[in-house]
Amino acid sequence: MPEYIVEENALKDFLQSISKGRVLLSPQGVGDKCQITETTPDKVTLNFTNTHISPKTLFFPQTEWLMSFQKDHSKPHPYVYQDLGDKAKSAVVFGIRPCDAKGLSVSNKVFQNDRFTDPYWKGKYESVIKVGLACKDPFPQCFCVAMGGSPYGATGLDVLAFPSEKGLGLKPITDEGAKLLAEANLKEADLSSELKSQEEAAIKAQGIPDDYSPIDHRGLLNLFQDPQWQSIAENCLNCGVCTFICPTCHCFDIQDEENSEGGVRMRNWDTCMSWLFTVHGTGHNPRPSKTERVRQRFMHKLKYIPMKQNGDRGCTGCGRCVVLCPVNIDIRSVALRMSTLNMQKQA
Amino acid sequence: MFNPYLPYPVRIAEIRVETEDKNLRTFKFEFLDPDDENKFAYMPGQFAELSVPGQGEIPIGIASSPSEKGHVLFTVNRVGQVSSYMHNMKKDDIMGIRGPLGHPYPLDTLQGKNLLIIAGGFAVTTLRSTIIWLLEPENRPNYGKITFVYGARTPGLLLYKDEWMAWDKRDDIDVFVTIDREVPDWNYRVGFVPAVTKEVCPAPENTAALICGPPIMIKFTQPVLEEAGYTPDSIIMSLENRMKCGLGICGRCNVGPEYVCKDGPVFTLAQLNQLPKEY
Ligand SMILES: Cc1cc2nc3c(=O)[nH]c(=O)nc-3n(C[C@H](O)[C@H](O)[C@H](O)COP(=O)(O)OP(=O)(O)OC[C@H]3O[C@@H](n4cnc5c(N)ncnc54)[C@H](O)[C@@H]3O)c2cc1C
Ligand code: SF4
Ligand code: SF4
Ligand code: FES
Repeated sequence: MPEYIVEENALKDFLQSISKGRVLLSPQGVGDKCQITETTPDKVTLNFTNTHISPKTLFFPQTEWLMSFQKDHSKPHPYVYQDLGDKAKSAVVFGIRPCDAKGLSVSNKVFQNDRFTDPYWKGKYESVIKVGLACKDPFPQCFCVAMGGSPYGATGLDVLAFPSEKGLGLKPITDEGAKLLAEANLKEADLSSELKSQEEAAIKAQGIPDDYSPIDHRGLLNLFQDPQWQSIAENCLNCGVCTFICPTCHCFDIQDEENSEGGVRMRNWDTCMSWLFTVHGTGHNPRPSKTERVRQRFMHKLKYIPMKQNGDRGCTGCGRCVVLCPVNIDIRSVALRMSTLNMQKQA
Repeated sequence: MFNPYLPYPVRIAEIRVETEDKNLRTFKFEFLDPDDENKFAYMPGQFAELSVPGQGEIPIGIASSPSEKGHVLFTVNRVGQVSSYMHNMKKDDIMGIRGPLGHPYPLDTLQGKNLLIIAGGFAVTTLRSTIIWLLEPENRPNYGKITFVYGARTPGLLLYKDEWMAWDKRDDIDVFVTIDREVPDWNYRVGFVPAVTKEVCPAPENTAALICGPPIMIKFTQPVLEEAGYTPDSIIMSLENRMKCGLGICGRCNVGPEYVCKDGPVFTLAQLNQLPKEY
């Protein structure tokens, strides 16, 4: 597939064209932070690092109504629960970062797993065309390369956009992306060698990546039983910030809210950092202390997900938790410790 | 698009108090739409989310057998919010159930084998389903000897009395029901489940054990089976963890990389030996 070029002053026209009949979503400033929201072509900017919270909010809102129920079953058409329907609108998102697109593709395999499909996620995820924006100058907190990705990675994207010498370069990734670009009447251009050299430079800018591959080779129980989890967890406050801002954390709680006539069943983001997350009705808790809960988070990201998703990690190196953890727990140093910890306690 | 979160509406057709402390009740549900009963096709060992509008959902093992048509049964212990609310519900009340969820016992691959079925306390529910199904005339010939060991602290805490008493009179299943301590007018066994198991368990060759009970019973029964020569892949158990979605999505019931809801709740001991003990 060919690449295309959008000249500097033609960005607005391009966005106008791809958002015809669709909602346009793009990172917008909210105070000193930015977040992907509905916007118009004139407000789109390429000048942002990354969104404060991962764009999972687009497909998996913090609170989401699943169904309604009514209590009076004597009415003519009684229902116990009624689907609150799929309000998914067809949309195009412009400016999603490669780490986030890849992270959402990991979550996509959980929401659409080997046995069940989550209709609320699927409806939204699949009605949004994803145009990513490559990171020509990676930010200080980024480590996508060490996690097996790239600042120019295309996993989970339909189109990859990148700043070219001549304007904005566009590389179609999926058929849907190709169709979107073909319909936009753009100038074709062979940007493959520019793309290649840009990617090489961006990868180099992240420095020599840590090698976390020993985690893949260590046995599950050997890692799980490692005595160092206690010291890794020592400072954690179990605040859950790391899980809420993460592009691959997808855990939720289901709650009912009611009035005298009926109510709604909703889901809310939840976190494995919470004691309530796993406590049984009997009071027994399989993860009673923060050591087990911190271990769960890192094992889930770096061992369980790779075991289930052909080696793809549940961390894509976006760096949000590194920046936002109030006690500076850094997944990179945890991953390094998991890569090198004592090997004698073979399980 | 099929929505696996959406419960089927059901009517409570009957409520039976099972134990003398009244903490366990069996609910018989009928589907409001008979079509839903077909959609709810299940096998012994699977569970469902019982859904009470405004209260929430609880995962409960299916106690009826697929061979019992026209209704489904669940036996619910009074624990917290939803289960206590259900204990105050009445016949003809409407609620929801969604499922079936999880994997059943591997009854197809167990064909031709002897089965040792061990239950403790109210964890007997999905094993009731299993035994009813096994004793169906079209299924019974496909299996060898069936031995059932079932224990509770007192006679009043044993579930499904009419049923196991009837099984006890049959010659195609050996039934050993036991209570912890001697009481007057008790005509069955006395002693803990592990001790009774030790005494009556069939030779391990070509035999599989299905075992459900409180952790303490499992802890002491497992070594008895291993000593008797049962291999880890012939010991089959069912796990419980706190659940919400039941679909392998909400993330809370995992044991290592496996979700108890989607990949279990039935696991062999051989599988569990490879997993962290987070249950
Ligand atoms: C696969 C499977 C099959 C099951 N089969 C059956 C069955 O056949 N029959 C049966 O009776 N049960 C069964 N259970 C167990 C059943 O699901 C729970 O007993 C039930 O979910 C309790 O729900 P509840 O709303 O009544 O209690 P909840 O109110 O949900 O109780 C838990 C709540 O109370 C809180 N809580 C509980 N204990 C404490 C404590 N000590 N301190 C503070 N907070 C606490 C928790 O945080 C939670 O919010 C099964 C479970 C699974 C996973
Ligand atoms: S790390 Fe914790 S909150 Fe995040 S997806 Fe895994 S279990 Fe859920
Ligand atoms: S952000 Fe830091 S302190 Fe908070 S739960 Fe995560 S690791 Fe623990
Ligand atoms: S209950 Fe949601 S993942 Fe198992």
